[in-house]
Order: sequence, then structure tokens, then C-alpha cells
Amino acid sequence: MQFEGTSRYYLSPELREILNIAISMEKPLLLTGEAGTGKTQLAFEISKSLGIDLEEARCKSTFKGEELCYVYDTVLRLNDSRFGSGSTGRDVNDIWDYLRFGPIGRAFLAEERRVLLLDEIDKTDSDTQDNLLDVLEDGSFIIREINHKVMARRLPIIIITSNAKRELSDPFLRRCFCHYIPFPSPEEMMIVVRIHYPDIPEHFLEACLTAFYRLRDQGFEKPPATAELLDWVGALRSSGARGPGAGKEISHVGALLKRTQDILKFKGIRKAARF
Amino acid sequence: MIGFFYELRKAGIPISVKYIMEFYRALQQGLASDLDQLFLLSRLIFVKRVEYYDTFEQVFASFFMGANAAHGIMDWEELLAGKPFQEWLRDEIESGRLTPEALREFDTEELLARFWETMLAQEGEHHGGNRWVGTRGRSPFGHGGQHAGGMRVHGRSLYGTAQKVIDERRYINYSDKSILAAENLRQVLTSLRSLRPTGPETELDIDDTIARTARNGGEIELVFRRELRNRLKLVVMLDNGGYSMTPYIPLVTTVFNKIRDLFKDVSFYYFHNCIYGTVYQDPPRTRSLKWEKLLSENMSTRLVLIGDADMAPSELMASFGSLDIHNDERKAGWEWLKELRAAFPVSVWLNPIPKDRWEYQSVTISRIQQIFHMEDLTLAGIKNAVAWLNVQGRAYDTH
Repeated sequence: MQFEGTSRYYLSPELREILNIAISMEKPLLLTGEAGTGKTQLAFEISKSLGIDLEEARCKSTFKGEELCYVYDTVLRLNDSRFGSGSTGRDVNDIWDYLRFGPIGRAFLAEERRVLLLDEIDKTDSDTQDNLLDVLEDGSFIIREINHKVMARRLPIIIITSNAKRELSDPFLRRCFCHYIPFPSPEEMMIVVRIHYPDIPEHFLEACLTAFYRLRDQGFEKPPATAELLDWVGALRSSGARGPGAGKEISHVGALLKRTQDILKFKGIRKAARF
Repeated sequence: MIGFFYELRKAGIPISVKYIMEFYRALQQGLASDLDQLFLLSRLIFVKRVEYYDTFEQVFASFFMGANAAHGIMDWEELLAGKPFQEWLRDEIESGRLTPEALREFDTEELLARFWETMLAQEGEHHGGNRWVGTRGRSPFGHGGQHAGGMRVHGRSLYGTAQKVIDERRYINYSDKSILAAENLRQVLTSLRSLRPTGPETELDIDDTIARTARNGGEIELVFRRELRNRLKLVVMLDNGGYSMTPYIPLVTTVFNKIRDLFKDVSFYYFHNCIYGTVYQDPPRTRSLKWEKLLSENMSTRLVLIGDADMAPSELMASFGSLDIHNDERKAGWEWLKELRAAFPVSVWLNPIPKDRWEYQSVTISRIQQIFHMEDLTLAGIKNAVAWLNVQGRAYDTH
């Protein structure tokens, strides 16, 4: 199983090697790095290019871990036991009719290998992360209510992303392959932009990237990232601008800078002090 | 190969036997067919934190590329100033194989060619080792000024990843030399919790539901309750002023960073020696926080004070006691502290001074101990403090 990247997504050779190592070693791959470096997108691209299905779990701070494996719908069962399940075909005496599997459960039970994406794992509590550890490592979890062990038929390709807002626990890191995706260099960025705007003129693109990287270096609260760059280039193109403009004259700066503070700073206006 | 693992360990990268087994498993699968793959593979397996990338690259470079760095070194100056070259040059001159006159006639390229000849001939003898160690800043020998220009040799292997990455040193900013004084600090701190029913009533209370349903004669009555979750709110106050705290800065920094990483809901405030009605939101102590606002925190908020509690007795006990001449607060320090304690019943004072020295160090320590529960800033002390906060906090969590 070799992953080669797709036409809509630029994959650096380094990352491709890493992915293929992780896939053949069957280890979860933890991707960290700034927003806009394509961490989440990667999982979608793997699924697309290898032609296997994706199970996606966008983590929330309220997750406990178990609901990613399965949910036991007690309320529905109670309801059915009282009022009858009618024509739904559910059997109140069969607990399996009331178990619903989450992304992990579905990935484990699938006949074919799946891609499992755990997005923004750092949003969850560290307890949740610890719970998920064993599940992912052994490829199995237990349905507590009936003490039934669900074993993975095929270990999925696991991609975990983290914005590293908070530190992940050591045991968690120990069980993953960890990779930090650096922000793309101007050369790589050129390829990325070209994928999205194939007919962009060379000098236009260069001027945009120069302006973009200069802005990034100015220490804004939220420095513009890949997504902003692509929006901005799109805005410039559709407005028919001949160039991005320079210095304070950069057009459509709102596409690059999102925070009011940053825009004011860019325009050289300091927020009037209030007394 | 075993040598490489030990080099990593020596460099301070935590590795375990499990990693090594994994590494061999990967080698068996043929995942490291060239140097670049080996680099990526070993980094994936051994390095779990971005802080170690830099260290790892250095170890890798010295171990695997030390012997045949000929293909990879792009920085000639670094090579010329490097130890292997300098040693070789000295040997050559001392043994008379190269005379200073000849040296002047050779240009850099020729010198290097001779150097590599010797090095490659020796390769059988030396065992990896730290051959290629660049020590920047020493001036290159030979014909200065001639080298470098137009002599860039690019990595020869497929992607050149290893060499490129190492050459760029992209991760240098993340290198964190100050490795934790206490690795298990984290484990201790995570046990600090405040379980409280929060959020909407969504969790089905099965036991109660069954009981009520039975009492209802089979008519289902659903009982929901709120989930128990860790909703710890923490206020940390740091004594960051004066010389008395200086020796403890690294220790406090470690603890501070751990706390910041572990808990979502933490506020940090700063004070100098003792508290007189204000704490500050920024380390230079310019933005003050209103005392009333601070005291209006929820009773279940945990308060941790970090300070040496070592001050002149007058600072604590006397009216107008503050060292700061602009401070004209009449109330004595200990009265403020008492107020603080009353507002934060779940609080603890962490003192970087070891416990057995408290008695002799200062009288103010024992005074403050009468107000706050005090522990020292050791692993054991923090453990005790956490246990204390958990026990004290339970009474306030239900509110």
C-alpha cells in the first residue's frame, strides 16, 4: 500500500515517506503543526487516493472516548420496552439493536481497512486520551454493558491531528509516530497555489508570495496561513487586480488578516487609548 | 546500531526498549533502504516531541553521516573549521607530509580532496563516532577567501531529505535544553481535580429511573442528571519580585509551565513578597487586578500561591509594611492574606525553600503557615498539596 498524493493536494516527499512508514508499521500517526499546514486534509487525501473509506471523529472537549467506540441507547430501549418497537424491526430483548457504533467502532468492524481520523485530539481531556490509547493500540474495545470484546478485523490507518494547544501526555505520544509539519517554504507554497490556480502567471504568483511571507514575518496575532493565502489569491484574481500591491497598499488585505487588532496594526493605526 | 541508541539517550532523548524493538521490526520490513528513509524512520520512532528534533538531527548527523559526510556537507566553512579536518591538517603538517609552502599553493578543493582520501582510507578503523562535529567560528585553514564560491554540492540521494533538513536546522527554535527536573510532576498535577456536576441534564440516571418506574407501576419515568466533570478552576499567584526568589527561578518555571500546559482554566497573577490589596496580571507588575474582583471568585476555585514567604517581619505584620514606597496601604500584609484565605478556602502555599529549613530561614514563614497550608516545592510537597486541595475542595464542589 503506497500513498502518492493526489492532484488536489501537495504532499512533500518527506511527509509521503513518513506516511508510508506509518502505514506499513501499522502505527497511529500524530500530526502537529500550525493551522493551515494540511493536517486534516491529509487523511481525506489518503482515503481518496487509496480508495478506502474514511471514518472521521472531530473531537470535542466533552468527549469521554467511549462514544467514539459505541453508544448504548438506553432511552430508546426503555421507550421500546414500554411502548413497543412497532414496525422498526428492533427487538427489545436484543441489546445489539440498541448499540450504535462510533467512528472507531465502525473502522474496527469494517471488512476492509479504513482510514480513521481523530481530529484535534488536544481538545479532549487527558483522561479521554488515556482511554483511547489502549483501544487504538490493541485494536479492540469492550462493550461494558454486555462485556463483549470488539476486535478490529483490520487495524485502520490512524491519523491523529493536534494543534498542540495543550501538551499531550507522554504515554500517548509514546504509542504514536509523531510528526511536526513545518510551515511550507515559499517553493512548496508555489506548488500548492498552482494546484488550486493552475493558470496563474508566474510573476503574479511570485509577487503574491513575497507579500504573503513578508506579512507572516511581521508578528501578527494571527499570521495568515495557507487557507488565507488561497482565499486572497482567489480574491485578487476575481477582482482582476494586476498585482497584489505592496506595503500598505496590499489589496484585499481582509482576506489575509482576520483580527481587528492585526488589521489596525497593518494600517499603522494604534487603537486610541481609552481613559 | 546499538551505539546510536545510546548516543540518543546520552543526548537526553528519552527512548525505551519498545522503540528499539519497533526500529528493528521496521528494518526487517525494509523500510530504511537509504539514508533519508533511515533518518525519517528513526525520527518517527525515537522522537516524540518537537523539542527534540534538533538534538536528534545532531546525533543522527554525527553518527551516520560522520564518516561519509563528503556527499552532504554544503557549508564548507563549517567543514574546514571542523575538528576532523583540523586534526587531519595538523597531523599532515606535523608529520611533514604537507609543508607550509605546499599548503599555500594548494587551493581549498585540492586540500579537501586529500583530506577525503585519507578519511576514506581510514574508514575501516574508526567506528562511526562523532567525527563530523562542526564547531563554528574557527577560521578555516588554507587559502582563505578562495573556498565556498560556486562550490555547492547538493545532496546526492533521492530526496536529500535528511541532509536538507539537517542543513536547514528548521527546528532549532524548539530545542529545549531544560529537560524537566521531575518527569512525574505531570502525573501528580493531573490528579488535581474538581469533579462537579456540570452542563445540561443529559446523563440518564439508570438506577433512579428503574426505581421510579417500578414505583410507578411500570410507567416509565426517566430521570436525568448532570454529568460529573472535572471543572477545575485554578488561580496561581507567583512571587516574582526581589532577590530572595532568584535562586528558585528554574524550579518555579518548571512548575509554572507544567501547570499552564495541563489546565485549561488557570489565571496567573503576580505579587512581590507579600500581598497588599493588589495582585498583578503581568510579570512586570503594571496591570493590577481589583481586589474585590479577585475575592469574588467562586469558593471552589483552587488557589495556589508560590512564593518563599521570606520577608522582613515588618512587611508582614506592620501597617504600611510594603517595601514599595508608592504603596501607602495601611492594612498589614497578614490581614490581606487572611482575607485572601477566607475568599479561597481551597488554597495552598507552595514554598521553594525546603521544608526542613523553614524554621530557621525566617519567622514570617511560620506566620504565614498559620494562615495558609504550606508545602515545599518538591515532588512530594506538590503531591501533598494536590491531595490537600482535593480533600478541601470536595466540600465546595457541590455548590
